[in-house]
Amino acid sequence: MSILIDDSTRVLVQGITGSQGRFDTEYCVAYGTNIVAGVTPGRGGQDVNGIPVYNTVKSAVDVSGATASVIYVPAPGIKDAVLEAVDAGIKVIVALTENVPRHDAAIAVAATRAAGAWLIGFNTNGMISPGKSKLGGIGGDRANELYVPGRIGVCSRSGGMSAELSAALAAGGYGVSSCISMGGDPIIGNDMVEYARMFEDDPDTDAMLFYGEPGSENEQGLARALRDGEITKPVVAMVAGVFQESHPAGLSFGHVAAMIRSADDSASAKQKLLSESGAHIAHRLGEISELLKKRLG
Amino acid sequence: MRLTEEKVKSWLRDNRFPVPDGGPATNASDAAVIAERLGSVAVKAIIPTGRRGKAGAVHLVDTPEDAAEAASTMIGQTINGYPVTDVYVESKFTIDEEYYLSFAFGPRAPKVVISRQGGVEIEQTFECDPDAVITADVDPLDDLKPWDAVGLWERSGVGGPVLARLGQLTSRLYAAFREADATMIECNPIAADSDGQLSLVGAMMEIDDNALFRHRYWTNEGHGFGAEGRILNEREIAVMRANETLPGGALRYTELDGNIGILMGGGGASLLQHDMVVDLGGKLANHTDFSPAPSIDKPLAVLNAILENPNTKGLLVSFNYLQLLPCDILVGALSEALKQHNVDAHTFPVVVRVFGPGEEEARAMIEEFPGVRYMPPKASLDDAVKLIVDLTNEAVNGGNAS
Repeated sequence: MSILIDDSTRVLVQGITGSQGRFDTEYCVAYGTNIVAGVTPGRGGQDVNGIPVYNTVKSAVDVSGATASVIYVPAPGIKDAVLEAVDAGIKVIVALTENVPRHDAAIAVAATRAAGAWLIGFNTNGMISPGKSKLGGIGGDRANELYVPGRIGVCSRSGGMSAELSAALAAGGYGVSSCISMGGDPIIGNDMVEYARMFEDDPDTDAMLFYGEPGSENEQGLARALRDGEITKPVVAMVAGVFQESHPAGLSFGHVAAMIRSADDSASAKQKLLSESGAHIAHRLGEISELLKKRLG
Repeated sequence: MRLTEEKVKSWLRDNRFPVPDGGPATNASDAAVIAERLGSVAVKAIIPTGRRGKAGAVHLVDTPEDAAEAASTMIGQTINGYPVTDVYVESKFTIDEEYYLSFAFGPRAPKVVISRQGGVEIEQTFECDPDAVITADVDPLDDLKPWDAVGLWERSGVGGPVLARLGQLTSRLYAAFREADATMIECNPIAADSDGQLSLVGAMMEIDDNALFRHRYWTNEGHGFGAEGRILNEREIAVMRANETLPGGALRYTELDGNIGILMGGGGASLLQHDMVVDLGGKLANHTDFSPAPSIDKPLAVLNAILENPNTKGLLVSFNYLQLLPCDILVGALSEALKQHNVDAHTFPVVVRVFGPGEEEARAMIEEFPGVRYMPPKASLDDAVKLIVDLTNEAVNGGNAS
């Protein structure tokens, strides 16, 4: 088992005719993702490497039975693209677009959650259930090398770090059950603790690895769930961005989300809170496997 | 983008919100002309920060002569770190009651914060009288209805004829907040005169930089200030312009006071590597945040800025495993920048950790630049960071010795 997607999940790609959509989709198909349709208004009837393209998500869903969508639409159109997917009944949405206008993001997230759908992003490179399926650019053409199948659930605020974390797990003899780049924008569809709950319920996940940053309340929610006993599997966490605390508050660094807003959402405060709640904090990639070995043997 | 007072006030006026009469002046005599027309005025330095009163940036005067003097006192000074080039001269509003209203973003949705006690800092009100501060989420899929706003003001302890006016104003301002793609609006105080007429006397506003594509009106307003109002230098402005005009993802460049220049991709790897540099005793000359671009132009703009920064003594180009951008585009930009700036990697260390599609071509390009260290496959982020810190220290100390 894995979370959110597996090898039977039928996936469509909104914006499949753009360069990034084509580039990623090719690697996804090669990996084994069941990509059944593409959507680009005005390109209906065409195909991209044999994948039929439709003008609307609704028509693509009607024909293909897709339940997941990966969206390659630039920021000005991303809100509508998500709303269109939700309207068509899509249940797992991956929105790669970054720097989405705040009001648009709030609307798209509210609509997705109201429909009981799941939104990975904004500002994600997707998710992967190693050996089964991947959505988005995650792993590129080296997904097999970077994401070894295994029993650790990985969830990262940063897309690129998901590869480094998974490679570090592989180097330490561990593999990944599912790895999610949850999104690095200030407003994202689902929180860290919601992924933790999924991993907690997944019989094929033994422990979880999280990567966080300053500037959101994700780690606070995770810490609460750990303290409340809602999450019982071992949790290893990295929180980067401690350096910001020695610079004047408000300098724009990293993801827009990584802005110091209060002492409480600084990297070191999050590390402390998670540690006090029972998570194991890694400061270097090499430490992750050592911490897991202590808990899992 | 944080807007200065004269821009907020003019935007409010354009949207038919009640604001005191006033206007900007760049010198003493212009300030006097406005004061002549308005009578008793407040003369305020135009700088993108709050708490101006405490910093001596607000003068209350009754004559045009005093307005001129206040203007000439402040213009040319540096207040809260910002050079004052102009002042805002505004009619003094007769204040009977003061209220507080703001909109900002919570984790998922906009929040409205109101208080019956305006004119003081909201944190202070919250500390002394938490019941006077009402905070509520606004459903992004809905408006903030006037009657809901009335309910909030009522809960905060406001009653009487002003209640309906505050409700209307709050609802309309929320609609404008959304329409303008603002991320923050703070009105403190909203003043009421003895007739219960409202005026937005204090108003601060921040616009979402990521929504500027649909707000041409603001596009040329923010140059010279960073996200939080910090003054940008010429290299930072050059990168900001490149970000706006060249195709590709978002590009950010902020200079710091160290000597290791970095081009790092992926916000996460940037943060982690930055922490590691600091851990190893190194200091960065800049921070960057860079997303994939279809050509070398955007990475080249950042690399030019880094190499033109006189404090930069070494360069680390280190990305997460690249899944979105071919290595040869990025390293192509690096080659071009190294050529343009005649960089000798034997005295100015350059470390590259860029893995993924196009890596073979990228490695071949770098061979033309003897001394540049391209990390071997599977080298970790830790390895690249350690190498640039060591090499830069060596280069700097060697330079001092000779």
